[in-house]
Amino acid sequence: MRPETKIESHRFEALGTSCSLFSAGRPLGRLVEGELWVRQVGARFTRFSAQSELSRLNASAGRWVEVGEDMEALLRDALRAYATSGGLVNVAVLPSMMATGYTRPISQGPTVAVLESAHPPPALPDVLQVREGEARLEPGAGLDLGGVAKGWMADRLCAWLGPNVLANLGGDLMATGDGPAGDGWPVGLAGVTVMLRDQGAATSSVRRRRSGDMHHLIDPRSGLPARTGLEEVSVVASSGFEAEVVAKTALLLGPDLAPTYCASHALAWWLGGSQ
Amino acid sequence: MRVLLLKAGATALTVIATVASALYVSSHLKNPTAPLQPSVLNANGNGSAVSALGGTVTVGPSVRPGNAQPVTSTYAS
Repeated sequence: MRPETKIESHRFEALGTSCSLFSAGRPLGRLVEGELWVRQVGARFTRFSAQSELSRLNASAGRWVEVGEDMEALLRDALRAYATSGGLVNVAVLPSMMATGYTRPISQGPTVAVLESAHPPPALPDVLQVREGEARLEPGAGLDLGGVAKGWMADRLCAWLGPNVLANLGGDLMATGDGPAGDGWPVGLAGVTVMLRDQGAATSSVRRRRSGDMHHLIDPRSGLPARTGLEEVSVVASSGFEAEVVAKTALLLGPDLAPTYCASHALAWWLGGSQ
Repeated sequence: MRVLLLKAGATALTVIATVASALYVSSHLKNPTAPLQPSVLNANGNGSAVSALGGTVTVGPSVRPGNAQPVTSTYAS
């Protein structure tokens, strides 16, 4: 193990959550630039601003809409996540999220839930088309990228920041390089420390962002908040995005199938709680 | 006589094939509790489970548990 390199860190609130950036051997100023990157990209992906790229796509009513490079890449990855999760990770859950009362930023609290209007979302490839620089959403469909964007952004941010960095965006994180001491980045996972090198970690949970029986994790099979017998899943995978997808899929699969699924899709995992 | 020999030979062949198949199958029993995918092994080649908050963290071979103080954690947000 080599002598420990000094760690620079920078913490801030963005994306409706707490974010932290770490680097070994890079200046603090680079991490501050990383915060600006998070705010700029996050502003394009949020559904809580009418001016965002996502809101323009959601309001496009079947027309092809110009999208930026990042949005195009994220939408393509969302389609890939839909396929690899067997449809369990479906970003077309916006109508169901609205029905549960998650109509505005969580800091402002939920509105009244109208579950009668919650239905299983359509298959994502049936309502979303992506081509170079443009995307099209079927009328009536709506996307919420909150379930996949943070891990995706952590991956991109690490690549943007340079080697040997760690980006944690609301618990969904990516760690690149050998870490401060050359044996990886020490990261907490359910109370245990794991050393990550070019790996991501994420936690999917129904314990947060909830009000009574309502929470933000929609089960696409019902269109309602998930009740699978698992409350929280943390995983390590090859990237932050991959970890986010695997954690969410495992939670939705429930306690009977999640262990086998994690054994074949995750590098480390923890399954927590029961409903 | 030749027909009789052929019949006896065919019968013997059938009995031998049946017995051999039964021996092969009974010595290669399928484990009904086996997972669909091979389980993940740890760096030592054995399953690695670390006690954690309200459960167990399972660690595969490409992730190493550490003793260092974590710089950050994955958590629900």
